[in-house]
Amino acid sequence: MNSLLLVILILLAGAVLSFLANRIMPILSGVMSFLSIGAAAVIFFVQVSAADSMAIPISGFSLHWGINAYSWLFGAMVLGLSVFVALYAIAFMKGKDRLGYFFFNFNLTIMAMMGIVFSTDWVSLFIFWEIMTWSSFLIIIYAGISEGRVGTKYMIFSAIGGYAMFMAILVSNSLLGSFQIADLVSGFGTLSLGNQALIGILFMVAFGVKSAVMPLHVWAPRAYADSPMAFTAIFSGLLSKMGIFGMGILMISVFAQGTIGQTFIFSNILAWLGAVTSVIATFYALIQKDAKRLLAYSSIAQLGYIIVGLAIGTPLSIMAALFLAVVHAIFKGTLFMVVGAVERQAGTTNMEELGALIRKMPWTFMAALFSIIALAGVPPLGGFVGKWMLYESLITSGFGANYFLVIMVFLSSTAAFLYSYRFLFGLFLGQEEPEFDHVKEAPAIMVVPMVVLALLLLVIGAFPGLLFEPIANAMAYMGVDVNWNMTVLSNVWGDEVHMEPLWTSILVMFVIGATFLTFKTRRNTRYVTTKDIHTSGEIPEAHENMTFSVNFYQPFERAIEPVMKRKMDTYYNRIGEGLESLFGFARKIYTGNGQTYAIYVIIFLSILILIGETIFNK
Amino acid sequence: MDLDYNQIMSIGVYGSAIGLILIGLYAVLIKKHLTKIVIGLSIIDAGIHLLFIAIGYIKGGTAPIFSPAGEKIVANGGVMVDPVPQALVLTAIVIGFAVTAVALSLVIRLYRHHQTARIDQIKSLKW
Amino acid sequence: MVVSPVHFIAVPLLAAFLIPLLAKVSKELVRIVPGLVIGYLSVVSVILMTQVVNTGQPIIEVIGGWSPPFGINLVFSAFTGFLVSLMTFMAFLIWIYSYRFKKIDDAPAQKYFILFMMLVTGSTGIVLTGDIFNLFVFMEITAIAAYSLTAFYRDRDGAEAAFKYLLIGSFASALMLLAIVLLYSQVGTLNMAEIAQRIHTVPQGMKITIFTLFVVGLGIEAEMFPLNGWAPDAYSQSPGPVGVAFAALVVKAGVYSLVRVVFTMFDIHGAYEFLIIMGAITMVIAEISALKQTNLKRMLAYSSIGQMGFVLIAFGIGTNAAVFGALFLMFNHAVIKGLLFMSGSYLVYNTPSKEIKDMAGIGKKLPMVSFFFALGALAIVGLPPFSGFWSKLYILMAAADASFYYLMGTILIVSIIEIVYYFRVMGRLYFGKPQNDVVLQKPTLGGIFAMGVLATVIIVIGIHPDFVTGFIQSAADTLLDKAGYINNVLQLTNL
Repeated sequence: MNSLLLVILILLAGAVLSFLANRIMPILSGVMSFLSIGAAAVIFFVQVSAADSMAIPISGFSLHWGINAYSWLFGAMVLGLSVFVALYAIAFMKGKDRLGYFFFNFNLTIMAMMGIVFSTDWVSLFIFWEIMTWSSFLIIIYAGISEGRVGTKYMIFSAIGGYAMFMAILVSNSLLGSFQIADLVSGFGTLSLGNQALIGILFMVAFGVKSAVMPLHVWAPRAYADSPMAFTAIFSGLLSKMGIFGMGILMISVFAQGTIGQTFIFSNILAWLGAVTSVIATFYALIQKDAKRLLAYSSIAQLGYIIVGLAIGTPLSIMAALFLAVVHAIFKGTLFMVVGAVERQAGTTNMEELGALIRKMPWTFMAALFSIIALAGVPPLGGFVGKWMLYESLITSGFGANYFLVIMVFLSSTAAFLYSYRFLFGLFLGQEEPEFDHVKEAPAIMVVPMVVLALLLLVIGAFPGLLFEPIANAMAYMGVDVNWNMTVLSNVWGDEVHMEPLWTSILVMFVIGATFLTFKTRRNTRYVTTKDIHTSGEIPEAHENMTFSVNFYQPFERAIEPVMKRKMDTYYNRIGEGLESLFGFARKIYTGNGQTYAIYVIIFLSILILIGETIFNK
Repeated sequence: MDLDYNQIMSIGVYGSAIGLILIGLYAVLIKKHLTKIVIGLSIIDAGIHLLFIAIGYIKGGTAPIFSPAGEKIVANGGVMVDPVPQALVLTAIVIGFAVTAVALSLVIRLYRHHQTARIDQIKSLKW
Repeated sequence: MVVSPVHFIAVPLLAAFLIPLLAKVSKELVRIVPGLVIGYLSVVSVILMTQVVNTGQPIIEVIGGWSPPFGINLVFSAFTGFLVSLMTFMAFLIWIYSYRFKKIDDAPAQKYFILFMMLVTGSTGIVLTGDIFNLFVFMEITAIAAYSLTAFYRDRDGAEAAFKYLLIGSFASALMLLAIVLLYSQVGTLNMAEIAQRIHTVPQGMKITIFTLFVVGLGIEAEMFPLNGWAPDAYSQSPGPVGVAFAALVVKAGVYSLVRVVFTMFDIHGAYEFLIIMGAITMVIAEISALKQTNLKRMLAYSSIGQMGFVLIAFGIGTNAAVFGALFLMFNHAVIKGLLFMSGSYLVYNTPSKEIKDMAGIGKKLPMVSFFFALGALAIVGLPPFSGFWSKLYILMAAADASFYYLMGTILIVSIIEIVYYFRVMGRLYFGKPQNDVVLQKPTLGGIFAMGVLATVIIVIGIHPDFVTGFIQSAADTLLDKAGYINNVLQLTNL
C-alpha cells in the first residue's frame, strides 16, 4: 500500500478508534491517539520517500499526492512534534469531559496537516485545509468559553482565508487548466499582470489568516489561549506553520516565476506586515497578565519574523525563516505544554497570582527555561542561529528600506526579552504564595515530552547543521541555490565565526555551569523562602508583596499606550455589528403580511413585463 | 366605427375576462378581510377561465360533442369549437374549487385563533 | 416485472384514496401502506433508471393510448429519472422518519399520510409529465397537499403560514394558467416537446410576455426572490418531516419546472442571465435574513431559500459543467437539508421556546441528534470532505471557466455568512450551558434510522463522489439535449 495513503489512513483510523475507545475507557482514547500518531510517524520517517505518489480520480479531474524535500521538512515537523504532544495530551486531558470528541478532532487535525503537506494539487490541499479548519474549530469550542464566540471568530476568519484560497485555486484553474501546484509555478509568469495580482493577493490572504499576519490576526490570541493547552501546542506550533508552508510555496517558487513577483507589491508589503505584526504582537504580549495569552501573542510575533524572512526572499533569509519555523514549532510547543502543566497542577495561569513554582515543578521549569532562551534568541539554543541569519539577511539583502525592517525586528526581538523574563518570573520565580503550597510536579508522562523537546532545542543549538541539511534540501527543491556554509556564520564586514567550536565551548561552559550550580545548591545550603527574612526587625506578613508581580511593566505600558489603544479587534467588531444590523434591516422585507408578499409578486410581474423586452432580448 | 355582432361580443368577452381579473386583483391586494381575499382569488380564476373559453371559441362553431346532431353540422361544413380549452377549464374550475375550500377552512381556523379576520393583523410570523 | 412511469402517479394516488378505507380494517395499515407504496416506487425508479442508463433512451409512456401530441405522455429520461429517484428515496426516508412521529395519532395520521401521498404524486408527476397543462394540474395537487400539511398542527401559527402560502400559491397558479392559455392560443398545443418545436413561430413580444408569466408563476414555487415570502413561514410552521418534503420534493419540482421552461420550451437567451441575477439576489437576501434569525427552523428555511438561489445561479450559467453542478447541488440540498430538518425538529421539540439561544448544551442531552445536525451544518456550508463541498466546487469551477469572477466572489462571501450562523448554532448546541436535563422527546428508532442513512450518504458521497456523478452527468447531458428530447417524444407520432 502506498505509504502516503497509509499515513493518512492510520491517522484517520486513530481518530475513529479514539472516538470509540472513549466509550470503553476514557484514558484509552488518548492512548489510541498517541499510538496512531506514533505509528504514522514511524512510517513517515522510515518508509516515505520521494518516489511515493498517488492520484485519486474524481469525476472531471484527479487529486494528486506526493512528497518532496520541502514538504518532507514540514511533514517531519508535524509528526515529530505531534508525537510528543500526543503523549503529553494523554495525561493532560485525563479526567476531562468528552475525551472521544477531543481526540477525534485532535487526530483529524494532524491528519489534515499531513494531507496538506502531501498534496501536490490545490484541490486536495484545499480539502485538507478545510478539514483542518473545522476540526480545529471543534476543539476551540470544546472549552465552552463565551458560548463558542471565540470559535466563531476563528471560523469567520478561516472561512475568509479558505474561500480566498478557493477562489484563487478556481481562477488559476480556469486560466491555466490545471489544479497542479507545479503547473501554477510554471504557468504563473504567463498570466496577465492583473490575474497575477488577483491570484497572489487571494493566496496571501488565505495563508495570512492561518499564520496570523497583522490585519488578519485578531482571531489568534483568544483561540490559542482558550483551547486546551495540549491542542494549543499543536495549534500554535504546527497549524500556523501550514500558513507558512503555503506562503513558502508562494514566496519561494510561485512569485519568483511571476513578472510581478520581484517588484514592490508582494515582498515588501508582506515583509512590512510581518515586521509590524511582530512589533505590535510583542507589545501586546508584554501587557498580558495571563501566561497563555502572553504566549499566544508571542506566537503571533514569532510568526511575524518568519514572514519577514520569507518575504525578503534571499536564500539566507528563506533559510532563516524555515529554520525559525522549525525551532518555533519546538519551543512554542514546549512552552504551551509548560503552561498546560502549570494550569493543570496549580489551577491558574495568571502570572500575577502565581510564583515560585521552580521548586515545586523543577523539570517543567527546566523545559520552560530552555524554550524561553530559544525564544529570546540567546545562544547557545536554537533560536539564536535563526535570528542571527535573519538579521544578517536583512542587512545584506540590499534594499535600503530593509534597514528599517531590521530596526523593527530588532525592537520586537528586544522587547521579547521583557516578556520572556516576565513569563519565567511570573510563573516560576518570585514570591511563594501559600495557596500554591500543594502544587506538585506534573506526572512523568507530561514531563518527558517537555524535557525531551527542550533537550532537542539544545541539540539544534549546538549542531544547527542537523536542521540546515533538510532545509537546504527543501530550498534546493524549490529552486533556490543554497551556497551557505553551514558551519560558518559570517557578517557583512567579512568576519567569520566558525560555529561548531563556538557552540561546543558555549555548551561546555553551560553544562559545567549548570552542574556546578546544581552541586553547589545541593550541598550546605538552607532552603530559604521569600518570606524568610526580616527588614529592620520586622517580619513580613504572609500576604505582603515582596516582589513585583502586578503591573509588571507599568512604565513601559504607559509608553506604548497610544499604540495599543487602537485595537484591530474593535474595528472588526464594529464592522461585524454594523453588518449584522444592516442585515437585520434587510430582512424586514419579509413583513409577515401575506398581502405585502402578493403585492411584491404583482410589482415584480409588472416590472418584468415592462422591461422584459430589454432583459430577455439578448 | 362599425362593429358587427361578433366583434362586439368578443370585445365584451375579452373585456369582461380582463375586468374580472382586475377586480379580483383589487380584492386580493387592497381588501383586508380574509374572506374578501379568498373571493378575490376566485374572481381572478373566473376571469382566466373566461379568457380561456373565449380563446377556444371559433366563430359560428357548435358544441364539440360527437352526437348525431353535432356530426350532422360538421358534415354540412360547420365547425366545432376547440374542445381542448373547455376540457382544461373544467379541470381548472375543479382545482379552483378545491383551493377555495382549503382557503376558507384556513380562514375559519385563523379567525378562531386570532379573533380577527384582517390580514394585516395576522402577522405573528415575520422577518 | 412490468413497470412503467405511470406507476409513480397511479399507485400513490390510489393509495391516498384507499387509506380511509384501510383505516376501517386496521389502524396500523394506515401507517404501513404508504411505506409499501413508496418502497415500491423506489424499486420502480431504480429499475427504470438502470434501463434508461443501459439503453441510453428515455422511456416515454403514453397515457390512454393517445400518442403525443394529442394525449398526455410521461417522460422518464436520465434527467427526470434522476429527480424522481431522488424524490422517492427522500420520500421513503420521510416515511420512516414519520412512521411513529410524535404528534401523529391515529386520526391525524390518516390525514397526514393521505396528504403525503398526494404530495408525492404531485411532485413526481410534475417531473415526469410531458404536457404543460398536466404539469399545472400536478402543481395544484402538490400545492393543495402542501397548504394542508403546512396547517397540520392546530396549536401553532400553521394556519397563518398556510394562508400566506395559499395566497401566493394561488397567484402562481393563476399566472401559470394565464401563461398556458396564451401559449395555447399561439402554438395550439400543450405538449412541451411540440411547444419547443413551434416556439420560434410566436412573435417576440408575445413570447416574452408568456415567458414572464411562466417565470413569475414558477419562480414562486422555486422560491425566487421577491416571490418567496411564503417560504420561511411554511417551512418553519409545518411539521418536521413536511419541512423535509418541502426541501426535497416540492421545491425541487418547482425548480424543475422553471428549468424545463427555460431550457426546453423557450429559446430566450437573456433568460440565463436573468436566472443568474435573480439567483444571486435570492441567495444574498435569504442568507442575510437567516443570519439574525432566532428561530431554528426559520433559519433553516432561509438557508434553504439561499441554496435554491445558488441552484438558480448554477442553472443560469448554463454550461454543461454548471448544470452538472446544479443537479449535484439539488441532490445535496435534498439530502443535507433533509438531515438538518429532521434533526432540527428534534432540537426544536426539546426546546419549548424554539429559540436558538435556548438550545445551549442540548448536545449532552441528545448526542445523536446533535451530531447529525452538526454533520448537516458542516456539509451544507460546503466543507470537505462532505458531499456539499463537491457541488460547490463544480459550480464554482464552471463559474470560473465562464469568467464570472464577481459572481464567485459574491457566492463565497455569502457562504461566509452561512458559516457564521450555522457555526453559531453548533457552538451553542455543544458547549453552551444547558438549562435543564429534561429530554422531552427522544428520537424514534425510525427517525434515527432515517437520519443515519442521510448522514451515511453525506459522508460516503463526500469521500467518493463518483457514486453519483455518473448519473448526474447523464442527467445534465439529457437536460441540455433539447433536440433529443423533442425527437424522443414526437417520434411516437410518426409510428
